[in-house]
Amino acid sequence: MSTGGLLAAELRKTVTLPAAWAGIAVAVLGSIAITVLNALTTRSAIDAGTPERVANTSAFETAFAAMPLGTVGAVVLGVVVISSEYAANSTDAGGGRQITATLAAIPRRVSLLAAKATVLVLLVTAVAALTLPATAGIANAVIGGAATETVTPAQALVRGLGGTLYWTLTGLIAAAVTLLTRSGLIAPIVLIANSSVVSVSLLLTNLTPLAHWLPDLAGRRLFTGVDTVEGGLAAGPGALVMTAWTVLLLTVAAVVFRRRDA
Amino acid sequence: MLLIDQLVKRHGTRTVLDHVGFEARPGRVTAFLGANGAGKSSTLRILLGLDRPDGGTALVDGRPYRSLRDPLRTVGSMLDGSGAHRARTARDHLAWLARSNGIARRRVGEVLDQVGLASSAGVRVGRFSLGMGQRLGLAAALLGEPRALVLDEPVNGLDPEGIRWMRGLLRDQAAAGGTVLLSSHLMAEVADVADDLVVIAGGRIVRTGTLAELTAGYDRLEDAFFALTGGDEGAHR
Repeated sequence: MSTGGLLAAELRKTVTLPAAWAGIAVAVLGSIAITVLNALTTRSAIDAGTPERVANTSAFETAFAAMPLGTVGAVVLGVVVISSEYAANSTDAGGGRQITATLAAIPRRVSLLAAKATVLVLLVTAVAALTLPATAGIANAVIGGAATETVTPAQALVRGLGGTLYWTLTGLIAAAVTLLTRSGLIAPIVLIANSSVVSVSLLLTNLTPLAHWLPDLAGRRLFTGVDTVEGGLAAGPGALVMTAWTVLLLTVAAVVFRRRDA
Repeated sequence: MLLIDQLVKRHGTRTVLDHVGFEARPGRVTAFLGANGAGKSSTLRILLGLDRPDGGTALVDGRPYRSLRDPLRTVGSMLDGSGAHRARTARDHLAWLARSNGIARRRVGEVLDQVGLASSAGVRVGRFSLGMGQRLGLAAALLGEPRALVLDEPVNGLDPEGIRWMRGLLRDQAAAGGTVLLSSHLMAEVADVADDLVVIAGGRIVRTGTLAELTAGYDRLEDAFFALTGGDEGAHR
């Protein structure tokens, strides 16, 4: 089979899955909604002469505060591209799983996983290319000239790319964990709770500085800028560590997937 | 031609397949008969590269399934129903399958017509009945116009008219020189369609031969089957 055909098939498979659109909607529409709320709050604080009520009056920072929702969307996408293969159909319809049809059509399992990872990277990048300019534009339109922008266009571009990389790597980690566990539950519980409810990794840094080398904390400077918790890895080395985690997990998942019964 | 040779499969300490071997030849319908749990699906899953054997080989035209290029054009298969995700429509399911094996897009409409699902092409698979799921699974098997068909319990859930239609389809495939291997635990359906029979019980092949050879001395295939497999032993496993 051709690589192009394989990629086209996996892309088509993903975009005809309603759950994938839920992930995309969380990232795009969720981020836009949060940005509108945040920007209106900032604007009203400025207009009322009390800008100290908000953490930052920069339009870019206001837009960037919605980044965690993109992480959630990337995790959902990473999980569903794999978990949809293992979800059982209703017993009325035979109770089969899609993985049977997938592996009958595409028996080369490592190529299959590579195609799925590529589709995931493409989709998450497309979501970022849509979401980041949209939220920045909205925040700019609402806050506009009322506040001075503290982030230069060059900084904004670097942090936008860094955030996109963080989303992509998190999505790939979610896919690898889902493939290893064949469950659509474990990866989202760990990754979404950890990035939005309470950061277990961050708590762990109180016990050992080694926790700064966990994938999520290593990559944290990719989009959180400098005004967060002290310590840990800088953006560049952090990105390398997070990428290494992703490659390691995908490799382990590929080895297990190739060997085990479908 | 499908060749299964000395297959062994263990789950923990339990031996599921104990040196299973047989062949399915072109131009013939081969029925793989056994009670539930006798090892039919395990054998077919290894043949299709889904599970790994602990010993032995399973070959399609002399090659392992996993090494086939565009396998859907060589072997059409159906295991546990349609294999479609419940949230996807029948048409979308067949469309990605076609794309993955370089099969012309027009085949999607053709096979939907052929299995009688044209009017349900846009319905989500989760809303399908068992019989519709079987028809969709068969549509997927036929998609690449393969020479060989491997079907696990294909008449499951089909109504009498559907069973009759399935028989005609399998006979046509064999008449055109194709290879057909189907598993079943329903003797009556098989007696009318099979040329060759392979009987498995408790993970071992107990008999292979033509329909006439196996039923010689018995009134019905069902009687022959129970005599060969030692009654309903398989059902108690």
